[in-house]
Amino acid sequence: MKQSSSLMPSRVVLLFLVFFCQTKVWAGTPIINIDIRNHLFIPSEITIPKNTKVKLIIHNHDSEDEEFESYELNREKVILGNRKGVIFVGPLPAGEYPFFGEFFPKTAQGKVIVE
Amino acid sequence: MLLSSVIIILREVLEAALLFSILIALSKHSGFDLRWIGWSLLTGLIGAVVYAQSIGVVSDWFEGVGQEVSNSLIQLTTYFMLVFYMALQLRFNHQQTDLKYSSGLLIKIIMIIIAFLAITREGSEIILYFFSVTHSEDHYVAVIIGMTIGACIGISVGFLFYYLLINLTSKWAMNTGMVLLIMVSAGMVSQASLLLIQADWLPSQLPIWNTTDWLSEKSATGQLLYALIGYEATPTAIQAGLYLGGLLLPVFVIIILKYNLKKNSKPAFDFQEL
Repeated sequence: MKQSSSLMPSRVVLLFLVFFCQTKVWAGTPIINIDIRNHLFIPSEITIPKNTKVKLIIHNHDSEDEEFESYELNREKVILGNRKGVIFVGPLPAGEYPFFGEFFPKTAQGKVIVE
Repeated sequence: MLLSSVIIILREVLEAALLFSILIALSKHSGFDLRWIGWSLLTGLIGAVVYAQSIGVVSDWFEGVGQEVSNSLIQLTTYFMLVFYMALQLRFNHQQTDLKYSSGLLIKIIMIIIAFLAITREGSEIILYFFSVTHSEDHYVAVIIGMTIGACIGISVGFLFYYLLINLTSKWAMNTGMVLLIMVSAGMVSQASLLLIQADWLPSQLPIWNTTDWLSEKSATGQLLYALIGYEATPTAIQAGLYLGGLLLPVFVIIILKYNLKKNSKPAFDFQEL
């Protein structure tokens, strides 16, 4: 009885440690970088795991602004020329989710593949 | 280039045009002079230029999600202003003539704020688009023609709604206008929540349903419904919940106000049903 109660605090600490370590892993949102060059997304196809939130960092290397847009992903964001933008995507069910650059849709096309 | 300019401008203009047409029609039915439109356009245009100029700075706020946060803030402010407007307009309809001047002035100020915010947000995107695509000068003409066509279609839809409302009797125009405004404003709450999800300020979830096969957001009907009722093919639970909340708040405000107006005074006009 006495032994178990003296063990209690360390067990609690251990429990907290496990909990925080776990949340730390959970909070580590995967980061995916996408470049915009000459009004093209590079890479134009990215693959992410299903039911997972990811952080897209879009680097616009063109001097013109672009707008990242996707009806399927429900995302819309202006990425100014020679700057970068952050967009959180997901969690999503498996499938293909096209996105495009609204300012230069002829060339700026891409898709997120969720599997 | 031409077609994409038509589409992008149409999307931006459509929403503002719908909101504008409803407000103008209702203020005509209320007998307001329409000088507030001029003030809205002027302040909105200045707002759009300033916002477009500072979007680089704004984007860097909050670890790169400042754009989402400020846009959602604009949407939510517009939403609460719209609820306030609906309440004031409803009270105005029941007021004695001698009280109408001061409350009319307040309504006009609120309408200017609503229109200012709408033009600032939509206009800044149009400005950014224009300067981005005309940076290399080879498709100047196509872009300008496309933008003009897009704007004309958007404004025409606005006119259509305006004439629909203006040809109704005052009572029916008020009721229809309020219902439309409630839907437009709930759509704003939904858009604001979407932006906050995108910024990771609200938790992201799996969508609760997918109606893309039934009605795509890309289709013309989808676009119109998006502007009108905030149609969303794949909403998450939080987004749908906030949309519902955004829909119910003005309904409750109107019901409570109607109840009080009925209790306190004999209405000057008969605006009973909604």
